[in-house]
Amino acid sequence: MVKALIIGLNTFRETLRLKSYQIILIFALLLLGSSQLFSFLTPEEQLKMIKDVSLSGIEIFAALLAIFTAMTSLRNEFETNTISTLLSKPLRRSEFILGKFIGSVLAITLSVILMAAVFSTLILIKQHSLEAGLFSATFLIWAEMLVIVALTLAVAAFASTAFTLIFVLFLFLTGHLTGYGLELAQQAKNPLLQALTKIFYKVIPNFENFAIRDEIAVGVSVSLSYLLKTFGYGLIYTFIALLLCLYFFQFREV
Amino acid sequence: MDEKIALKIEGLSKVYQLGRRKEVVALDNLALEVKQGEIFGLLGPNGSGKTTAIKLILGLIFPSSGTIEILGQKHTEVSVKEKIGYLPENPYYYRYLTGPEILNFFGRIFSLPEETLKERRENLLQLVGLENSGHLALKHYSKGMLERIGLAVALLNDPEFLILDEPTTGLDPIGSRETRNLLGRLQSEGKTIMLSSHYLSEVEKISNRVGILHQGKLLALGALRDLMTEWKASDIEDLFVKVIEWSKH
Repeated sequence: MVKALIIGLNTFRETLRLKSYQIILIFALLLLGSSQLFSFLTPEEQLKMIKDVSLSGIEIFAALLAIFTAMTSLRNEFETNTISTLLSKPLRRSEFILGKFIGSVLAITLSVILMAAVFSTLILIKQHSLEAGLFSATFLIWAEMLVIVALTLAVAAFASTAFTLIFVLFLFLTGHLTGYGLELAQQAKNPLLQALTKIFYKVIPNFENFAIRDEIAVGVSVSLSYLLKTFGYGLIYTFIALLLCLYFFQFREV
Repeated sequence: MDEKIALKIEGLSKVYQLGRRKEVVALDNLALEVKQGEIFGLLGPNGSGKTTAIKLILGLIFPSSGTIEILGQKHTEVSVKEKIGYLPENPYYYRYLTGPEILNFFGRIFSLPEETLKERRENLLQLVGLENSGHLALKHYSKGMLERIGLAVALLNDPEFLILDEPTTGLDPIGSRETRNLLGRLQSEGKTIMLSSHYLSEVEKISNRVGILHQGKLLALGALRDLMTEWKASDIEDLFVKVIEWSKH
């Protein structure tokens, strides 16, 4: 575990130095800041819009950063061949993968905190107070990112960069749509379609569970048990994805 | 006398499958032993299988068949890697770290106590002549400096068995001589060294025994003097050419 932490801290340092990470993060912060521009709406509508759009923005940018960070952290080791030096040392492949996960999660945590800070400042300016629901929503976005980082590492452990990017983006989008897909398939009354959507629904993580922006925007609070249940749901997927990653990485030649 | 064998390889092969029908044999049924305390030179032209053999020994790639034992243990054991020092060909490390930082990083991977790490870091930087470059990030290092810091990383855990892949690439004649002297000193301390190189004169000056690889096959193995007598060669270059030419017939 100590060695995984050493790799993790180094991955975190490396990620913060990446120009592309910095650019995506700065762009996200600027976009969040610009949600002030909904000035054509009434103050109440404007507040709802800022909450809804900003939480969606945080989720999308955090997902992009999570995919990019996890993918790059593994790819760079192969491109620079530092991985062959690392794995020639007394370091287990599992410690290496866990380190990459820790480092990527640290980088994502920092970016979510920064985006949430900009968002909270905007709300404070408009509303002069912060409700607990905003923190719950941010927490669930962060929990969703754990799953995305682990999934990205699992795919990147055996696939090319382009495939990883496309496949994980596909999973991210599908994971937001499986619930709707299931409802639509039930209405269609086609057994094959129903079976397929059920499989998708069971296998792909339902990312809509993590999205509580609609509730937050209209001031509905979310219970602690829902937060914990969803966090646990995310942890299960994270654990499975990390196990898959490790399985694929055991057979990868460096 | 198994206890005197640092490296034992039996029937080691590596075959890469290229599509369904085509395959490339990178290493073909390699068998060799490296004795403890000797300097063993693995020779061969580019693409002969030297780096493949080293990567297999280190567990970076997986054999198609065969076994490898290092210091009496299976080569994939994590504990055996604590006794190995490895210098890759063209060593590349995290470019934004300085020399002392990269040594700290790997020292922690070796779980060295902080006091030991500090002492070794300073001694090794001095040994490889980088004691005044501590402030420089590795991205500003020359090829020779990278080779030197690579050697420092390889020696950081005070290894019993040192594996060096083309250790003098990028070094000037003075640097090459210093490295040779250093390897001699390490041997006198009882360390086993295996180096791969296509710089024949370098190997001739320091190796006790050599193996010549060509197209994945070990064509000759033994003490340099014995091999030169056997092949009626005037020097190592002559030996190398005769062995390679013979393999073509």
